[in-house]
Amino acid sequence: MTEYLETTVDKFIFRVAKDCFYNSEGVWARLEGDRVKIGLSDFVQQRSGDVAFAEVKPKGKSVNFDEEIAVIETIKVDISFSSPLAGTIVEVNPAMDEAPEVINEDPYGEGWLAVIEPDDWEFDRQRLFDAPQYFSRMKQEAEEEVAEGNE
Amino acid sequence: MNKAIKSDNKQKVVIVPCSGIGKTYGTVSREAAYEVVENVRPGQTHLVALSLLVLGDEKSRESVSQYPSVTIDGCKLACATKMVEESGGTVAKDFAVLDVYRNHRKLKPKGIAELNEAGIKLAQVLAEEVAEVVDRLDFDAQPKQSTEGCNNG
Repeated sequence: MTEYLETTVDKFIFRVAKDCFYNSEGVWARLEGDRVKIGLSDFVQQRSGDVAFAEVKPKGKSVNFDEEIAVIETIKVDISFSSPLAGTIVEVNPAMDEAPEVINEDPYGEGWLAVIEPDDWEFDRQRLFDAPQYFSRMKQEAEEEVAEGNE
Repeated sequence: MNKAIKSDNKQKVVIVPCSGIGKTYGTVSREAAYEVVENVRPGQTHLVALSLLVLGDEKSRESVSQYPSVTIDGCKLACATKMVEESGGTVAKDFAVLDVYRNHRKLKPKGIAELNEAGIKLAQVLAEEVAEVVDRLDFDAQPKQSTEGCNNG
């Protein structure tokens, strides 16, 4: 069962899954067997707002580390997200077509974006933040945004 | 007799839009509500401001408890729907702008104080969907003509 680091900033509660690694955009990567599942962090989904559409690159497509893998349209913004690893997309969450709001409802679970067969996970993993590192960055970013909003 | 039926046999459906300020989808919800109340179904509907329900305004609470409500929420927090229910009202149908937009992706709303053309069109589409619900509620509320005994001379 996934455990979380949690913080409250202003009226918002943000969770960071301990069993994931994260890129600077808040895309998480979790090793499951010999494949890696990816999705968006709780902070990213809350900051972005309700998801209207999610377009993930299709199954069979190869992606490089830091190459665009998904575009999310929310009620606030359109955002492009980069892959946290290099590899081949072997599965795309079918919910992205039918009910992309699962990204908001369960960002670390049912709201996953894709499963990737990694080229070299051990190498890419070292370019990512572990949960405590991402938690610190995320918390600072959230506090700065709240402070800006209160100015 | 159903207390929701006025003397003119027209049931007044309450329309409660989102009150989110500074949000495009909130603006779409309010534009759709104005369209329904002022242009599409002016005789059958009236508007109740969410903020008045939050304040506990007696007249507004009475409206939502007396008549069925159609809520139009700007986001998944669904404040309008929750507030009508907390005020003792019955939500006959809750609309979410996001769901309507998903079915009309070309109508991407932009702007806050003033919507773009697509946003205005989306509000009109939403208003038509609300009107269909209003008509159904109105039909359901009409006194039914009894056909029993028609052939008994």
